[in-house]
Amino acid sequence: MLEFIAVSKQFPDGQVALDDINLKIEGSDFVFITGPSGAGKSTLLRLITKELVSTSGQVLFNEDDIAKIPENKLHILRRRIGTVFQDFKLLLSRTVFENVALSLEVLKKSDSEIEKEVSEALEKVGILEKADYFPAQLSGGEVQRTAIARAIVSKPEVLLADEPTGDLDPKTAEQVVELLEKINKEGTTILMATHNAAIVNKFKKRVVHLKKGKIEKDQKEGKYEPD
Amino acid sequence: MNQIKKTVKLLRRSPYQALAAALAMSLTFFVSSIFIILIIGGQIVLNYIEQRPEVIVFFNDEANQTEIDDLTANVRSTGLTKEIKFVSKEEALAIYRERNKDDPLLLESVTADFLPRSIDISVNRAADIKQITDLTQASEHVDKVITPENLVEQLVKWTKTIRLGGLVFVSTLLSVSFLIIIMVIGMRIAIRREEVSIMSLVGATKWYIARPFFIEGALYGILGASISVLLIYVLLLFYSPQIQNFLGDIRVFPINPLFFLYLWAAEALAAALVGIIGAAIALYRYLKIR
Repeated sequence: MLEFIAVSKQFPDGQVALDDINLKIEGSDFVFITGPSGAGKSTLLRLITKELVSTSGQVLFNEDDIAKIPENKLHILRRRIGTVFQDFKLLLSRTVFENVALSLEVLKKSDSEIEKEVSEALEKVGILEKADYFPAQLSGGEVQRTAIARAIVSKPEVLLADEPTGDLDPKTAEQVVELLEKINKEGTTILMATHNAAIVNKFKKRVVHLKKGKIEKDQKEGKYEPD
Repeated sequence: MNQIKKTVKLLRRSPYQALAAALAMSLTFFVSSIFIILIIGGQIVLNYIEQRPEVIVFFNDEANQTEIDDLTANVRSTGLTKEIKFVSKEEALAIYRERNKDDPLLLESVTADFLPRSIDISVNRAADIKQITDLTQASEHVDKVITPENLVEQLVKWTKTIRLGGLVFVSTLLSVSFLIIIMVIGMRIAIRREEVSIMSLVGATKWYIARPFFIEGALYGILGASISVLLIYVLLLFYSPQIQNFLGDIRVFPINPLFFLYLWAAEALAAALVGIIGAAIALYRYLKIR
């Protein structure tokens, strides 16, 4: 489904974020991308949505080279990929329902379809009763669940989660990953960037460990031991 | 429809910017309306004068009736005239009295002897006025010939000046409106930058992201044009007695309501285009989607 072939990314200031990455991710995989801050975890995810373009190498999504997708077709790629951002990226002036509905509005779904599918997504992440709340009225865990609901409501093939447990307490963080695991079991491929060792070690998934832009370890049921 | 509702909702969240943009448009199209009406009005006056091609030939006191009749027959024989009417000294006095009935001082001192005899010549075409004028002026019995030619020339000159002035003035205001629209929509894009970036990441097309801004630009235009036409309608309604009084016999009132409908449609279309083009420039300049 996703393949990185000799991918390197260097920023204009000369900083090398990724260096010769070779990685293959099959459909329905759940992969933790681990590593310390600055290891290149977020850069790796942003290459998949073409927010960034690799300096060399190829990133393939279902055998299509992402770098070669023209600007006017980019939306088609992004509709197949859900993203949960480190900083949530929720619109504070919109309710939970409206934030989640945004993913379906861009697909030009009807109001009745939006109503049905948003309610289903909110129910799946367990915050249906908070549909009319604004993000400022939610707890950290609920905000993250809203972000996950927005990412999964359009039923993407891949879900990218960039440090989704970063600001959460251990119990809530665990609940969020349990939710991601549930989504993965329904067939969605999940790539989760994290440096939360407790979470990685508890869930026993494939772990790709990055260090200074290089893959240091790639283990099937891996563990993460911070340096 | 849904998009328009959403745009209106966004406008209500920051009404002052929306008001500034709509008022700038109103001012531009209000001034445009005034110039359009002045140009159309000038054309009506011009047509009125041209459709009544009349030459008035005044005779000197030495001319006898036979000589007047000869000249009249001479003019008629050109075949260019529609009607020729002789006005005697007594008839001239009657006309004078009618015109000055409210001023007894002017009436007292004038008798029929003071006034010249004349013939009023209606010409078929305005273009023939010159030939008739030349023919009558050549006669030694003619004292003075009055034609509408000078008036027409004067009016044409005025209309041209109004057109040119209007073009310069409206172009300036149009440029200001453009800049205000670009500025307001640029601010909107800046305010909604995060939303735009999220929409792009969840798979919105560029057109989907840009459309509300285009609708917003068009709405400013339509709102501005509507305010302008409404204002013009009210002003014309209010001042119609004075304007009609000034124009005398030239009937322009009541103005056909269809005129206002056409004016609104044309201005709304032009203003919407200004808004859309302004929005397009703002989007090109400020909307960087990644």
